[in-house]
Amino acid sequence: MKRRDFVKVTSTVAAASFLPSSFLSAAVIKNNQKKFPKVLKPKMNNGVKEFELYVEIVEQEVVPGFKFHTLAFNGHIPGPELRVNKGDQVRVKFKNKTELNHTIHWHGIYVPWRMDGVPYVTQMPVMPGQEFVYEFTAEPYGTHFYHCHWGTLLHMQSGMYGSFIIEDPDDPIKKSFPYEREYTLAYSAHDSNFIRNELNAMLERMKERMFLVKNGRFDKERFATFNTKDELVQAVNNGYLPPYVVNRRSLDELPRPNWFTVNGKSYPMTPNIYIKEGENIRVRLINAGTEEHYLHLHGHDFWQVCNDGIPIKNPEQMNTLRLSPGKTLDIIIEGNNRGIWTFHDHDTRRVTNNGLYPGGNLLALVYEDMPAEEAELNMMAKKMGLPSLPIVALDE
Amino acid sequence: MLKQKFIRTVLFLTSVFAFSNIFGQISPEIQLGARGVMSVNLNVSSGETTSAVNDFSDSGILFGFRQKLYNNFRGRFVIGMQFPDANSDLGQIFFHQTFIQLDDRTNIIKLGRSRVASSLIEFPTLRDDDAIYFTDVLNPFSSGANTEDNQYGNVLEYTHIFAQRYRLQIHGEHFTETPKPPETVETDFNLNALGLSFMYRVPASQLWERPVIQQIGIGINNFLTDRPNNTNELDQMLTNVSFSTILNVLRDPVYFLDVRGQVIYNKGFDETTSITDNYSMTRTASVSAFASVRYLLRKMERPTLQISVSAGYKDFTNVANSTNQLQLIFNTFYRLGANFDIGFQIQYSKNEGDLKTLLGSNETRFQVALVYSIEQLWNSQFDDRESLLNLEHGYIP
Repeated sequence: MKRRDFVKVTSTVAAASFLPSSFLSAAVIKNNQKKFPKVLKPKMNNGVKEFELYVEIVEQEVVPGFKFHTLAFNGHIPGPELRVNKGDQVRVKFKNKTELNHTIHWHGIYVPWRMDGVPYVTQMPVMPGQEFVYEFTAEPYGTHFYHCHWGTLLHMQSGMYGSFIIEDPDDPIKKSFPYEREYTLAYSAHDSNFIRNELNAMLERMKERMFLVKNGRFDKERFATFNTKDELVQAVNNGYLPPYVVNRRSLDELPRPNWFTVNGKSYPMTPNIYIKEGENIRVRLINAGTEEHYLHLHGHDFWQVCNDGIPIKNPEQMNTLRLSPGKTLDIIIEGNNRGIWTFHDHDTRRVTNNGLYPGGNLLALVYEDMPAEEAELNMMAKKMGLPSLPIVALDE
Repeated sequence: MLKQKFIRTVLFLTSVFAFSNIFGQISPEIQLGARGVMSVNLNVSSGETTSAVNDFSDSGILFGFRQKLYNNFRGRFVIGMQFPDANSDLGQIFFHQTFIQLDDRTNIIKLGRSRVASSLIEFPTLRDDDAIYFTDVLNPFSSGANTEDNQYGNVLEYTHIFAQRYRLQIHGEHFTETPKPPETVETDFNLNALGLSFMYRVPASQLWERPVIQQIGIGINNFLTDRPNNTNELDQMLTNVSFSTILNVLRDPVYFLDVRGQVIYNKGFDETTSITDNYSMTRTASVSAFASVRYLLRKMERPTLQISVSAGYKDFTNVANSTNQLQLIFNTFYRLGANFDIGFQIQYSKNEGDLKTLLGSNETRFQVALVYSIEQLWNSQFDDRESLLNLEHGYIP
């Protein structure tokens, strides 16, 4: 640490110790920590970092009073965070505990092509009850994620995604923006009606298909699976009706997301980002959904320091960024304006819960060292039983 | 002022709760069911041949509206109409379904006009009344002019579901009385039948996990009649007991074969020993059995071809001169496109004893039909009780 940084940090800590008590209780801070992906600890096996992932169907409560069935890695949405160092040998044992097919695609990671997790292109799907082992070297550095690549439209918005962070002990971002704390925010958009109907249809279909597979009666046309494009064309010429013609999906419309989540939760259950005055924090943004998000931070500019995990040579300062589907962006926020500041999608259609504002991917940057009296409200509000900010409001 | 009063009055008339539409509303799920059955018929009845170029009876349409209620219940309103049989006196259009239903995970309450609990299972026939003398407990209050009298009535039902597959149902009905009695005697809202059934039924979504039994059930129907010379209500009660089952013979997603059967025992009234009309036919003791074998080819995860053979026999045990009924039905349906089928059905029925006079001695009917049936849902909001997610992964109201 440079002398100048040391002075800055120690003077901030000293100043904080003279401030009145924080308005955040220890319980609130602890509960907020649970809203970020849990880091999965690997087992070391002959120098290889070994992780175990499984997928199952769970009931996901995105806000109090609203649940839907989803898929989940290790029971959580998003799945656990995998953290390794650049160059580590990684082995992921993936167990399918559902009656659907799945794979895992390692988004942004230089895996050998047979480990890329694209069904029928790099591997066969991991069928119900089966296990598949992915092995690769962790590179490149940066914020990446993993997701199911089977029935991607359904399976990703059903919760099959998680962050994959490749660290570098000589982290280039830390050099430019010294930070200690960091947060991962995985964004997604869900059409809960599409998920429900399509999951049911897929489950029913898979019961039949597995019955046939177990009895050695795989049929290319029935399973809509062909060796070559020519074979498909030949089948159509011979009278085969492909699924996109006869519409074997449960619904005949593309999904229209009605829930927008950050780390699997919608406002007011979204995580908050905590910061202290004078502190830098790193926020890793992942878009695992199908919608674009235009994320805007109030009261601050931030630095965009990585794009798809790749450090940006000349970081840009901004207060709104575009997070496209499949994108990861890393930002640094400097704690230089004490308060509670919202951080939300400026396409405000995504700040809704089932069509009602506010909701969705609305969260806050909160200065945890802010004195409690700064959040106090006036007498009128206290008479209403609302002593201090922030307040949870569901109907503006 | 007068205008405002009028508007207020209209508001109260059109809504149970005034101001209920001031705020944004949660739109209901909207369901549409429609079935068009068009057939060309050729009948050979006791030697005489008649034909119908276009028989569209049983074609109908259903509208359903469904909404989540508070406290995990759901509410549904269904209204539907169909074209009755050509020789019925029900008019051009018959409102066969108009009911409200409340249900949660394990309870179903139904009130209104609907299908009565006169049969425990459905059989694979072209029209649902093709074998009605065998498949349904018959309405003893009807003159017999309309088969709909046996199938639809004003119902009050409560069903409790145990362990997802067991259903106990208590039901009361007002069966149609024809000719209609004077208004002073009764109204459509009195119950003239009470019943109970208990059934084990595998949800359709779990069919592949059940090796043999799809359904097995028992039911009892009691009609509260005006039996002459009996004042005791128990003595006036006409009791029918039904037993049914559906068994998988070949549980295969492509080549599917099942059998189903139902036996109905009508206890009858001892004094009814001859059959002269529909009232005496339904009030004398009888035992009927009906069974079907159905083969279903599902080539590409959708029905392609269905062939079924059904047979029924009914014996009127208390009628002197060997009165009985026999029916045989063969049909086949081939799918032309999504929900659109062409079908052929031949049915033969033979009556012995007193029934010869009432129904004729025999009839052979040939039918070629086009059938289009759809079911469409808009504004989908919640899951069905028997979806795989709700059955196997926790119930979400």
